[in-house]
Amino acid sequence: MGLKPATNPEVEAATIELSIDGKTVSAKDGVSLYDVISSTGKIIPAMCYHYTFDPFGSCGMCLVMQEGKKAPVRSCTAKATAGMIIRTEGDDLFQARKKAVEKHLSVHPLDCPVCDADGHCELQDMAFHHGVTNLANAKQKFIPEDTRSLVLDFNMNRCIACAECINVCKDVLMIDALQFMKKGGFNQVVAKGDLPLSCEFCGDCLAVCPVGAITNKFSKYLYKPWQMKKTTTTCNYCGDGCQMQIETKDTEVIRVTSPLSWKNKWGDRADTSKGHGGICVKGRFGFEYIDSPARLKQPLLRKGNQLAEVPWLEAMHAIVDRFAEIRKKHGSDAIAGLITSRCTNEELYLFQKLMRAGFRTNNLDSSARYGHMNFVRASKQALGIGRTGNDWEDLTKAKAVIIIGSNLTETNPLTAVRIKEAIRVYKAQVMVFDSSVTNIGKLASHPFLITPGTEGLVIDGLVKAALQMDLVDEEAVKKHPQAFAALKAALGSVSLEQLASKTGLTVENLKETAAIFAESPRSIILCAEGIVRQPGGYDNVLKLIDLAWITGKLGRPGCGVNTVTEEPNEQGAADMGVAPEFLPGLALFDDENMRDRLARAWDVTLPAVGAGADLIEILKRCRSGQIRALYVVGENPLGTLPASMEIRAALDRLDLLVVQDPFLTETGRMAHAVLPASTYAEKDGTFTNLEGRVLRVRQAMDTIGESVPDWHIMTTLANGLGCQWDYESANDVQAEIMKLLPGYYNLGQPRKVAPTADQYLSNGYAGSVAKRYRTAVPGGQRPFTLLMGQLLYHSGKLSTAAAGLIKISPNTGRIRMNLSDMERLGLGDGATIRVTSDQGSLQVGVQQDQGMAPGTCFFPEHFNEPPVKDLIPVHVDPVTGVPSFKRTRVTIEKA
Amino acid sequence: MTVGAMTKKILHAALFYEIWDAMKVTFKHMFHKPITFQYPREQRAIPDTHRGALGLLRYDDGRERCVGCDLCEAACPSRCIKVISSEDAERPLQRYASEFYIDITKCVFCGYCVEACPVNALAMTKMYEFSTHDKRTLLFDKKRLYEIGERHLDDAKKYLYAHNQEKNVEESREYRYYFPQSVVKSTQSTPKHLS
Repeated sequence: MGLKPATNPEVEAATIELSIDGKTVSAKDGVSLYDVISSTGKIIPAMCYHYTFDPFGSCGMCLVMQEGKKAPVRSCTAKATAGMIIRTEGDDLFQARKKAVEKHLSVHPLDCPVCDADGHCELQDMAFHHGVTNLANAKQKFIPEDTRSLVLDFNMNRCIACAECINVCKDVLMIDALQFMKKGGFNQVVAKGDLPLSCEFCGDCLAVCPVGAITNKFSKYLYKPWQMKKTTTTCNYCGDGCQMQIETKDTEVIRVTSPLSWKNKWGDRADTSKGHGGICVKGRFGFEYIDSPARLKQPLLRKGNQLAEVPWLEAMHAIVDRFAEIRKKHGSDAIAGLITSRCTNEELYLFQKLMRAGFRTNNLDSSARYGHMNFVRASKQALGIGRTGNDWEDLTKAKAVIIIGSNLTETNPLTAVRIKEAIRVYKAQVMVFDSSVTNIGKLASHPFLITPGTEGLVIDGLVKAALQMDLVDEEAVKKHPQAFAALKAALGSVSLEQLASKTGLTVENLKETAAIFAESPRSIILCAEGIVRQPGGYDNVLKLIDLAWITGKLGRPGCGVNTVTEEPNEQGAADMGVAPEFLPGLALFDDENMRDRLARAWDVTLPAVGAGADLIEILKRCRSGQIRALYVVGENPLGTLPASMEIRAALDRLDLLVVQDPFLTETGRMAHAVLPASTYAEKDGTFTNLEGRVLRVRQAMDTIGESVPDWHIMTTLANGLGCQWDYESANDVQAEIMKLLPGYYNLGQPRKVAPTADQYLSNGYAGSVAKRYRTAVPGGQRPFTLLMGQLLYHSGKLSTAAAGLIKISPNTGRIRMNLSDMERLGLGDGATIRVTSDQGSLQVGVQQDQGMAPGTCFFPEHFNEPPVKDLIPVHVDPVTGVPSFKRTRVTIEKA
Repeated sequence: MTVGAMTKKILHAALFYEIWDAMKVTFKHMFHKPITFQYPREQRAIPDTHRGALGLLRYDDGRERCVGCDLCEAACPSRCIKVISSEDAERPLQRYASEFYIDITKCVFCGYCVEACPVNALAMTKMYEFSTHDKRTLLFDKKRLYEIGERHLDDAKKYLYAHNQEKNVEESREYRYYFPQSVVKSTQSTPKHLS
């Protein structure tokens, strides 16, 4: 419809003047009249309007009188033009609006007492405000409720045909799963083709529905809006850091709602570039693990072969005594700790303080090591920032986006919505390189299917193409002629044709991508699991930085190299120094300045420079017997890493294994002591999302059972070990972090730091660049590539404890394959196959998946049954120590 | 003291005059009908509008009236009602109260909950004897409330009638949860105050 102003930042719309209720108002040309009126602060009722999409104009409530017209006009679909004289108030308008409400109500069932939207219903509010008490010609529709979908129920008796659900699905999320269909004499909202709704289940349609026509199956009839306590907090599933409201009743979580709602319908559409307020399926429907019956409610202590429930005091005494004993006998370096990035910043900070100041060891690591550390290390090394350079607004306003090795809509759905907005509103060219057919690829202007494992070669090809086509930014390379010469020399021997054929692309593909990227004013690179979780991840991120450097995109506003994270606080784990190579504030461990400050603040001597072990090294030392005690907070190495790492043997050798987790994990079952920790909904704190924004986590409910927040357990443990910690709340820890890292919290805004590569390019760049471009082609005799990755409906192993998500996406126990491959092998859906890799062999079912490219097969990493992960070898990055175990070559035969 | 007064005093003393005088009221009451009730041996007749214990009602076919809408909980000024609603497993899409609690120790017997109820599932009865040795039994649960409703069904209906809620009398309509005309046309005509 295009009634909104041109949102392109390059085009400035002309200013016009019009009169509203006798006041002169200036506005942008081409804007909807309704937007102009609401920008003056006047609220005209409107039920089908929402600022995130174009006005639809079906409810007939936003009536205003325009001078020169006899009848009232609908302000949302009317364009504001210069010289209009508008009246928004008056008895005639009130009566006209009342008529509109009566029209809607006359076909609306008055089943408010049993409707979930009761008390949160726009039609109810409108009827109340307009004093509608009597309906002359009311009639019922008697449409049966559509309960076929797994997640949402459609009661079309209550529908007012405002189309907000359809519009938000189509225009904002670009999923387009809903449509109007004339059925039984009424226009009804149905899933595409009148099939059971099966979509991404983000639930934004549910959020914008102003009546109770779309309801949530997981909390149907369980609540009335006024009964619940609403707590605004941050989602803990992925690194997007979406804000959401947890709604609780006593000790149970009833539902989760998003800031996006029909109640927040007035706003400036340009603001959606910072996020439209929606959440994804994990956030909205994955809340059931919080009050799951599987939660640990009591500390467990190993007595003989059994884990027995004991009181907290007994458990803590036992643990502290054992730790002290091991430290005395074997020294501090016999103790190590692992923590998950699902903990808050405050807990991550306390964890590394406990390890370094309490146990006096530098053997510590977080789950950011599984991939994000590759990006952090490369970004820190090259650009000095150690995180992504751009925020969501930059992603939205980009003109060219290279997405490489990222199934963005599955891993980080809300970051994907930013890219979708870039495509839709800002007409960005999006180039997707992936070894499977991704959803973002289907929307992109340039989707490319590449040979699995050749992401690194694609980057080589792009850099080479940029050099060959002379897309080089003179100003950027002039400053570092030596570095540029070294880069040219490193790529001298490779030919574009070779690279293209190895990656499964054409030379034109590479050239076109490089040209679009180099020539656009705001270019963004987004790399994720396909880069940072694969062998050579560190080098590949550096190569992407090379590409950005030679095309002059480094340090330019709106340009940069970015990544997305799987867990909510991977960036925070790096920032808080939960890695042997970093101190808080991402200072290097040997940074004298920071060491001094910390030593003074903590009043201890820090572990010596050079000491310490990361994840893989810790597990190795456990195996060799150097490490005798392991403190595991929320981590589950046994469930995550393949069997070839011999984690079970390593953990078996330990004298003391303490696991602190909300659930009894595989690792927990082996532990000597298990401490029940609280989930994010039961504690205060902050997460740092992938933009570097520090977001609040607020306590929504009392802790379940006798579980206690992690920071509390760590404080107790430290005090048991003789430290003098007096933290009484997460705020006390926060105050300490604020003193040590001034400006870290930054009022929840991303800290803008200009990346500078000068230091890196002028010191030792030439020496290291040559070997970076000698990318090995993943070889192997076996014909298929087995990939492990994330599903949209799950995040890590945590979401498998959420009953709702398991209902939507259960563990099928089947490997997903392309249909053509299955036909070639003579396999039907559900057939059993034997998958053989160099690591072993496994019998498993097979299912068809159109997203898989021919020659690849996929198994979700969230499930360990069957143990497909054990087929995959582990490759450890020599620089960053990141283990990659998501891809291998396999043979598949009919079993 | 004169001789006459002295004689009177002696006579009064000899005949126990003061005692007879004092007992006059007592003897008088021996011959007229008592005013007090001998509670608990005697029960008082209670008016239909009396606000006593709350009970939950069923329709004549035995179905629970309550749809678990939580409006009584919202209306309760002393917050003594707690409703936990869910979907009826036997009748899909039907909302009902899976649990229903009234803390009668907190109840102020205002009757707002009865007035809020859109299906007249709640009613007050003439029962007012709650004395117990265990205060915890005064937290009435769903089972107990239905028992009260069953035992005092007549009183409950009389209460609803007296408070113009249940019976189809013209004046009673003013307090009634009002469904629009065409939905239940056969049973309702427009109330006077709305037409």
